[in-house]
Amino acid sequence: MLPRALTVVLLTAILVGLGCSSPESRDLAIEGLTGKLVLTGSSTIAPLALEIGQRFEAENPHVRVDVQTGGSSRGIADTRNGTADIGMASRALAADEQDLLSFAIARDGVSLIVHRDNPVRELSDQQVVAIYTGTITNWKDLGGDDAPITVVHKAEGRATLEVFLGYLGLDGREVQPSVVIGDNEQGVKTVAGNRNAIGYVSIGTAEADAATGVPIRLLGLGGIEATSANVAAGSFPMARALNLITREKPSGLSTAFLKFARSESVHDLVEAHFFVPIQD
Amino acid sequence: MNKLRKRNGTDRWVALLLWLAAALVVATLLWILGDIFSRGLSGLSVEFLVDEPREAGRAGGLGPVLLSTLLVLGVCMAAAVPVALGAAVLLSEFSLGRRGFGRAVRASLDILAAVPSIVFGLFGNAFFSQILGMGFSLLSGGLTLACMVLPILIRTTEQALTAVPDEVRQGAAAVGLSRVTTFKSLLLPAAAPGLAAGFVLGMGRALAETAALLFTSGYVTRWPESLLDSGRVLSIHIYDLAMNIPGADDRASSTAVVLIALVLLLNVSAMAIGGRRSPGRWSP
Repeated sequence: MLPRALTVVLLTAILVGLGCSSPESRDLAIEGLTGKLVLTGSSTIAPLALEIGQRFEAENPHVRVDVQTGGSSRGIADTRNGTADIGMASRALAADEQDLLSFAIARDGVSLIVHRDNPVRELSDQQVVAIYTGTITNWKDLGGDDAPITVVHKAEGRATLEVFLGYLGLDGREVQPSVVIGDNEQGVKTVAGNRNAIGYVSIGTAEADAATGVPIRLLGLGGIEATSANVAAGSFPMARALNLITREKPSGLSTAFLKFARSESVHDLVEAHFFVPIQD
Repeated sequence: MNKLRKRNGTDRWVALLLWLAAALVVATLLWILGDIFSRGLSGLSVEFLVDEPREAGRAGGLGPVLLSTLLVLGVCMAAAVPVALGAAVLLSEFSLGRRGFGRAVRASLDILAAVPSIVFGLFGNAFFSQILGMGFSLLSGGLTLACMVLPILIRTTEQALTAVPDEVRQGAAAVGLSRVTTFKSLLLPAAAPGLAAGFVLGMGRALAETAALLFTSGYVTRWPESLLDSGRVLSIHIYDLAMNIPGADDRASSTAVVLIALVLLLNVSAMAIGGRRSPGRWSP
């Protein structure tokens, strides 16, 4: 008899509990956003998206933003089949991907840098290819001093490397580097310490360092100055957009997140990852 | 006389080469450990072990990552060990396991053991995450790993059981012990060191895994609240810090130190447990 009484008490408690909890959760939905967003895709964007997600979670305590990685193509595939609410692609959508919608959250620009004392002001694409494939090995062939060129190249797997090779149409194996470096700061230090070096780094980093007096110069491309402003405007050629992708017109939580990811409140995060924020 | 000296000379050369080969192995290990420890040791602290990662891992610690790793490992072993034990007992203790069916099972295990881990990752993503609807979660990551370590666990367990001499089984049958009692009280303790070794191998493979987990347990660095949450494991954290986050190389080394320490700790404790339960129980 006692067990049955206990069961009744328990059941009542559970029902009362359920009754209590449902209006509460309705209140939460009114107060703010609830739910979970899954993002998958580009490993270039993933760390940035992770931090944007954390900040979004802090402002909306009942929201979870789960960021997964795996590459741009995976992000597009996952968005198509619904595994992801939002995909991440560090390239523009291809012709057969126009059924999806893309929202740029940042741009990634790469600039060639030389030492500040180097008299060379601008290089054509062909000249850059010739330098990096070892056809031109002396600055005097480019209107500079009679000095051998130190070619600074990025280690495999860096996003800037992909942008650089992609823009010049080079295969990584054709490049004849003198020095191979890891991150942007290392590239800036290498060029700043060698009058005859040429390298390429993220524009955001190079600009910040040049502004604080590090002896480097950013080289323009095709008559366009290498500045964050030109990258943001989309006119600087050695750059790409970092996009968030959705299958259909976003709604609810996705809209709020996309708006947040493109807003001023994440510009510091975008810059911390050496990308260029989108200016609306 | 001349021939003898020549043979001695050859022997000495061969011995030297063997020493060199052994020294090379040790030197490689020391080099790797020295490199990682020299760069990673200074970044270690209690905060590093318990804090959440900040700034995509460039600051903060790896607390949630460590917890996720242990949870994935727990799910993997909880799922794999019973299945492995069952399959190994069938293969070694039942006549069925020695006939055609057993051979087929062994052959498929050997093939399964040679499958690259990224294939398990894609399988786990398709089966556990999508078809079974577990999404990116510690559960689907652990179960994917379980599939991956099963062949190692089964084959080592089977070998450990087969290595127990048949006289033990015959003696047990002669005094009228049931097969279950024989297994529990005689075979299992006798095979314990072998089981521990298999357990360690399986865990080592699981802890080192990156490819199988990237698409199953995922990339999220939040504190996991349930097994259905996504969580990043140490090896993926190291990969991401080293290859994807500028300026986090030192953090990658520190994380690697933690992973190596974890592997060593698990090895030592598994060996201790396996060693303690070894032969003594049944030998006179």
